Amino acid sequence: MNAIQDLLTLMFFPGGLFVLALGMSYEWIDRKLMARVQNRVGPRWFQPYADIAKLLVKEEVIPADSNRLLFIALPILALAGALTAALYVPLAGFDPLYSFKGDLIVTLYLLSLLTVCTGLAGANTTDRFSLVGATRTLTQLFSYEAPFLLAMLGPAVAARSWQINEIIADADGQWLLIVQPVGFVVALIGLLGKLEIAPFNAPEAETEIVAGALTEYSGRGLALFRLGRHVELVVGLTMVAAFYMGGVSGLPLFVLKTLLLLLILVGIQSLVARLRIDQTVGLWWRWGTLLVLAQWLALVIWEGVQA
Amino acid sequence: MDTTVPQRFVVPIGPQHPALKEPGHFEFTVDGEQVTGASVRLGYAHRGIEKATEGRNWVQNLYLLERICGICSHVHATAYCLGVEKLAGVTPPPRAQAIRVLVAELERIHSHLLWLGVAAHEAGFDTLFMYSWRDRETVMDILEALTGNRVNYSANLLGGVKFDLTSELTDKIYKGLELLEERTYQYVDVVTSDATLLQRTRGVGVTTREQAEQLGLVGPTARASGVERDIRVEAPYAAYPDFPVKVVTATAGDLEARFVVRLQELFEAYRLIRAVLEKLPPGELQARMPRKIKPAETVSRVEAPRGELFYFIKSNGTDQPERIKVRTPTLCNLASVCVLAVGSQLADVPMILAGVDPCFSCNDRMVTVYSGDTDHTQWTWKQLRQYGIDYYRR
Repeated sequence: MNAIQDLLTLMFFPGGLFVLALGMSYEWIDRKLMARVQNRVGPRWFQPYADIAKLLVKEEVIPADSNRLLFIALPILALAGALTAALYVPLAGFDPLYSFKGDLIVTLYLLSLLTVCTGLAGANTTDRFSLVGATRTLTQLFSYEAPFLLAMLGPAVAARSWQINEIIADADGQWLLIVQPVGFVVALIGLLGKLEIAPFNAPEAETEIVAGALTEYSGRGLALFRLGRHVELVVGLTMVAAFYMGGVSGLPLFVLKTLLLLLILVGIQSLVARLRIDQTVGLWWRWGTLLVLAQWLALVIWEGVQA
Repeated sequence: MDTTVPQRFVVPIGPQHPALKEPGHFEFTVDGEQVTGASVRLGYAHRGIEKATEGRNWVQNLYLLERICGICSHVHATAYCLGVEKLAGVTPPPRAQAIRVLVAELERIHSHLLWLGVAAHEAGFDTLFMYSWRDRETVMDILEALTGNRVNYSANLLGGVKFDLTSELTDKIYKGLELLEERTYQYVDVVTSDATLLQRTRGVGVTTREQAEQLGLVGPTARASGVERDIRVEAPYAAYPDFPVKVVTATAGDLEARFVVRLQELFEAYRLIRAVLEKLPPGELQARMPRKIKPAETVSRVEAPRGELFYFIKSNGTDQPERIKVRTPTLCNLASVCVLAVGSQLADVPMILAGVDPCFSCNDRMVTVYSGDTDHTQWTWKQLRQYGIDYYRR
């Protein structure tokens, strides 16, 4: 019976399908809010579901000069990474499904898998827009990943643990964003970079390089990449809310806190123009990394003094 | 293959590309993100309008030429009407000339707001894009109320204009201008103070005054580089002698200056429209035009929203023109894209391209260059059509 229960948990609730549905709902909220801010009507609630369903039934065109196996495997790997990451975070207010020492690092790497897969997918084709997009995706990965990781390690250092549920338990409902404001801001903006939304959408700047790394993708592959991104939006919001906003125990608190974060993200998105890729890298390494590093050092010293 | 030649990585923009609203083909050679070479190929939207005018009479051509451009259709009709009227020796009544100016300025507002949205979109600033196009609807509504059409207003007639202003229309225009003026102040504020937008516009695609003069830039693109060039001032036409225009210029020559110049021109347009409405001369709307025009030729120049629009018109004594040549402002400005793009970042290229406000289908022409004394044959419409089919089949 245990195996069946595990399977149900993984496939339907709270893993698998539930995460996908949640991801698409958050995507809709993001698009709707954005539209309202821009004085548009915006999509109806089922639009992301309809988009994915449409893409899944459409023909997938595989370019002749790309590696067939990689072309098909990369979107699956990307979505799998995001879905696996969802198992280690307190999604929808439940305790993480699985937990072990050091799961924080694993989760962060699983979240990066999507970006790496996107970059590889772009490099796998000979399309010129894809190649430029892949270069930009990977360049961006190297610029925000380190500060984002450091921002996530801040609460871990304070809790002296690398395990997600222990870190949340240690904070005990306190809002860490008050004592670690830099970490919070960097984590939130890092999320924008991870999800490639404005102002960090240079890797898929449509007016320059069409759809960036995913230009050659259509049908199922594109649907899976998009699903991966929807899931990552939810997982990312959950992690930031859990670490910096005093945990997310219970569904109402989860919804409230993650939507608050989403609202901030929409606000940033709608108020800025796109940064060039060199400006993105400059911003992260000149400001983001240094600031979060300084705070991290201060934390380590503070912990050392206390001990 | 010779392996010693370094391979060039060419990023094509066009003929079909999300950055272009019309087909044009640009090839940018890039080294990483740096652009090292640029070339342009036009002609994807050639429609043979110049040739087509030769088989239609003077009145029919008015409707054909108005359709050269979907954004600045009124200035095309105005340039044509002014030229034909000059050939026929007809002076349109002053009220008609004033209404021509009124519609031209309304059209300038709609064109500049449209550009603001497109340029903001190229910079990835979609909120500004949505807002400016929402406000553009105000002026579109005014134009629709005036003429019955949102584009291709068909306000001109040979020898005058088609409609008169009523007091309700005047009220509607005043009300619309009030809203637009308030919004324009905000746009000026945004494009000169928004940090992320300034990162993409300040110091990007700088055209010096010398470059602008050398490349023969026209319109707001030239004025942003400090070249005081405006046909409405240099050779006032229609009612512009009675309603003088203040030329707006900037000195920086970068994309920010182009934003600012176009937005400041909006204020000038609001002022002109109010002046026209206040001092609208009374009288007739149309003067009588002869059906046939004796052989002569003339040149007609007007200031389109994008710059100088040039018409050459030749008559041959019949009711049809012998030759009409149109040169649109985009053709003068496009060369600057190839010059400015080299050395800039790939990400800035769509911005530089949008910075000249290109309008491709208006400027596509067919040119045959004869070398030496080969026969100067005249092409028929059928031959031209066949040539076009063969050209694209290749």
